[in-house]
Amino acid sequence: MEKLIKNNTIYYLLISISILFLAIGVTLYMGEYFYGLIFIFLSILIYLLANLNSNKKDGFKEFLKQKFKVILYPLIGIFVSLIVGGIIMIISGYNPFEAYAALFYGGFYKNWGTAVINATPLIFTGLAIAFAFQANLFNIGAEGQYYIGAMVAAFLGLYIKLPPIFSLLIIFLVGSFIAGIYNIIPAWLKVKTGASEVITTMMFAHIARYFSPIFIRSFGGDPTAGSKHPYVTDKILETNRLPTMKSFLPNADYRIHTGILIAIVLAIVVYYILFYTKLGYDIRAVGKNINAAKMQGINTGKIIFITLIISGMLAGFSGVSQITGLEHKLAQELNAGYGWNGISVALLASNDPIAVVFTALLWGALDAGGQYMQRNIGISGAIVEIIKGIILFLVVARYIYNYFYNKYFKKEEFVSAEERV
Amino acid sequence: MEEYILEMKNITKKFPKVIANEDVTINLKKGEILALLGENGAGKSTLMNILYGLYKPTSGEINLDGEKVQFHSPKDAIKHNLGMVHQHFMLVENLTVTENIILGEEPGNAGFINYNLARKKVKELSKKFKLEIDPDEKIENLSVGLQQRVEILKALYRKAKILILDEPTAVLTPQEIEKLFEVIKDLVKTGVSVIIITHKLEEVLDIADRVYILRRGKLVGERNTKGVTKNELANMMVGRDVVLTVTRTPKKRGEKPTLKINNLVVYNSKKLKAVNNVSLEVYPGEIVGIAGVDGNGQTELAEAIIGFRDSYEGQIILDNYSLPINDKTQKNSLNSILNKLFFENNFVKGRLDRGISIVPADRQRHGLILEMQVAENLILGYQGKGKFWEHNILKWKNIYNFSDELIKKYDIRTPNSKNIASNLSGGNQQKVILAREFSKTPKFALIVQPTRGLDVGAIEYIHKRILEMRDANCAILLISLELEEIFSLSDRILVMYNGQITKEFKTEETDQMEVGFYMMGGDKTKVKEA
Repeated sequence: MEKLIKNNTIYYLLISISILFLAIGVTLYMGEYFYGLIFIFLSILIYLLANLNSNKKDGFKEFLKQKFKVILYPLIGIFVSLIVGGIIMIISGYNPFEAYAALFYGGFYKNWGTAVINATPLIFTGLAIAFAFQANLFNIGAEGQYYIGAMVAAFLGLYIKLPPIFSLLIIFLVGSFIAGIYNIIPAWLKVKTGASEVITTMMFAHIARYFSPIFIRSFGGDPTAGSKHPYVTDKILETNRLPTMKSFLPNADYRIHTGILIAIVLAIVVYYILFYTKLGYDIRAVGKNINAAKMQGINTGKIIFITLIISGMLAGFSGVSQITGLEHKLAQELNAGYGWNGISVALLASNDPIAVVFTALLWGALDAGGQYMQRNIGISGAIVEIIKGIILFLVVARYIYNYFYNKYFKKEEFVSAEERV
Repeated sequence: MEEYILEMKNITKKFPKVIANEDVTINLKKGEILALLGENGAGKSTLMNILYGLYKPTSGEINLDGEKVQFHSPKDAIKHNLGMVHQHFMLVENLTVTENIILGEEPGNAGFINYNLARKKVKELSKKFKLEIDPDEKIENLSVGLQQRVEILKALYRKAKILILDEPTAVLTPQEIEKLFEVIKDLVKTGVSVIIITHKLEEVLDIADRVYILRRGKLVGERNTKGVTKNELANMMVGRDVVLTVTRTPKKRGEKPTLKINNLVVYNSKKLKAVNNVSLEVYPGEIVGIAGVDGNGQTELAEAIIGFRDSYEGQIILDNYSLPINDKTQKNSLNSILNKLFFENNFVKGRLDRGISIVPADRQRHGLILEMQVAENLILGYQGKGKFWEHNILKWKNIYNFSDELIKKYDIRTPNSKNIASNLSGGNQQKVILAREFSKTPKFALIVQPTRGLDVGAIEYIHKRILEMRDANCAILLISLELEEIFSLSDRILVMYNGQITKEFKTEETDQMEVGFYMMGGDKTKVKEA
């Protein structure tokens, strides 16, 4: 058996099967077919089998070790916040076990479809923010880039008449491209004047948000479009909509669309860019020590520029997928909040693109479960917001643990007097 | 016995890895100007920070006016009429002079500040001590000299009887220094005692009444400035036990210089001429050492050579190619125009591509990316080489093989190449940098402070490697504050003082005393006198 695996052809065959199973499993699982999980487990097993005897095993162990560190704080956060949430429920006179049962049953099983729908835009914006964070940039204005993507998608969706594959490709590329371009001014200001991207992208986010009502009034207001008030655009053409999961998985929720699959693939692409390309290497170098990067000839200005634009593009994808996949029209709702929630998702994932998928799904499931819990047990869904808040607080609070750890447990490192003053 | 207003007795301060002060005893008389002389890292600042309550001494005691005191923070020190002006001013840039001076002790009541009273007080104070200043000017509009004046006024406003000045002349122009000295002399007449921390001999002789000399945390002597010679002070300050760890074999240098610098002028961030008309040549197969006390333009020179800092004028020529030194000297190409418009000009890349290697002074800040893997650090700066990436895709296999090789070759102590660089010890971190830079087989290497803060074993290893590089015909420019290091490695020694190369020696034809003397700004005529 071991000899067999050493054979390269067999090895790559096993890896291919593993990837195929993973793809099938994820697709099924996202379409509310829970036996997709079996495929996912099989895929992992095959992967482990393939690497059983190779020296990649150490690499895999290292990989798990690294991931464990990434996961530890969020897990502690989730655990503690559930306890705190439980205490709050006891105080307000509910049975926390019953409530949590409903929350998890609703979020991860009964209303899983809603969870997936909730998670889709969050994965894109979470990726956008995590990507920027890797270069130590805080693209707080992902919300704005979301609106730009959504507007471009609505506009193109109304007018492009091409076979679906081409039109969708064009909408996705143009939408994200323009959302990326939208970050040019903040990027330029950051590089040339040092103006903080936190302020500039935030201001640009407001511009984009409050521009959207003007856009909507120019392209619709048709009461027959399914809305009672006229502040929505017309529905985009049928050919310009993302296929739903239902079209190939008949039992799926009719609203789940293939945007989730695009999001997951994109997460893998972003991971690949960050850790397997020269660009990603430069981005991480700039993020972790901009001085050393500069001293070693990396054009830090260029990297900051490119990072902000790619981050804008990723956030733009969110808007495009939401319009072409779920809503099919742009409505005047100014608190979509996908950009802001993306920050939470990215923080919880410690800026790891793959982890963003999981944290976004968790966020989506908590929302979906909260609704289910409210309907069936009568506990206000607001408890979910409290739990989310505590999770985030505890995750961000790792800086607090570190502070106290350094203050009380770590030995004083020598810093020369000249440096310290 | 004379009355001392301040006595620091048997002060010892231990940091985890270093003893900063060992059994130091100093006294201060009323109305005296006292100087603390010593090289960087001699422990002068630590001693004064202990006095000012920033550090707690490991042992020893401080007596003020004959009474034993213990300071837990600068607040306590200020209460006991101590004032300190730090090397880096602690002023709020966008507040006015008056606001800065009264900060922390505002006149007025019930939470309201009486600005008129405050302004009046500041005016009175500046009149009394002849420190003219406009009380309503904002700090950001003041020159460095005037900012320092504000710091002094601030200390006096808090009724300082003992004023500590930490390297007060480091950032001043000669005219400003002259003015400062006048101010100090006037201050002393009003009964204030002054302690000046410095490493400049001339200043000591110009202004101080008495001087303590510190070396490596220990007090080596006390002198009255009347009758003492510069040479004597210099000997006490730099003289040290020589521990040569490596032997340099003689080697014939190449014919044509690899690096040639002509009349280079570089300004520092304070807009002062930090490098003033420097010319030098480095030949293949030789190590040129630049000796000098910190802050004489070495940092700026190094940054200009590697393109990290723009120069004002002059030429840096590498193998007959004139390297761009600022925007104007850069040849226009699509890339450079794009960089100017949108990104930033990075001259470093061009230099690395032409075969320059850099071992920066601050290894954690400029040399390594601490949070990245050792392997990732080992390919840092390998810009555009096909070995580690092609078409923008990293070749991890090659990268790990390469780094495993270097880890073995340079004896870097790490469990594997995926280890995060911050887990390594200082010596091993420096080995990572050396491995990376030397594996590029550079034509020219700029090595700054290669052994700062390392233990003897690591120092020996790194010195050996540097000499190996020289023997492999690399041209090396070594900038170090450690004279001993300069002597054990260099074939030629250039002394840098006040932004200029003031003297050139062949290592065999000089000794540490002579070089040390020039480092302090001495010149030939005075050597003969002494």
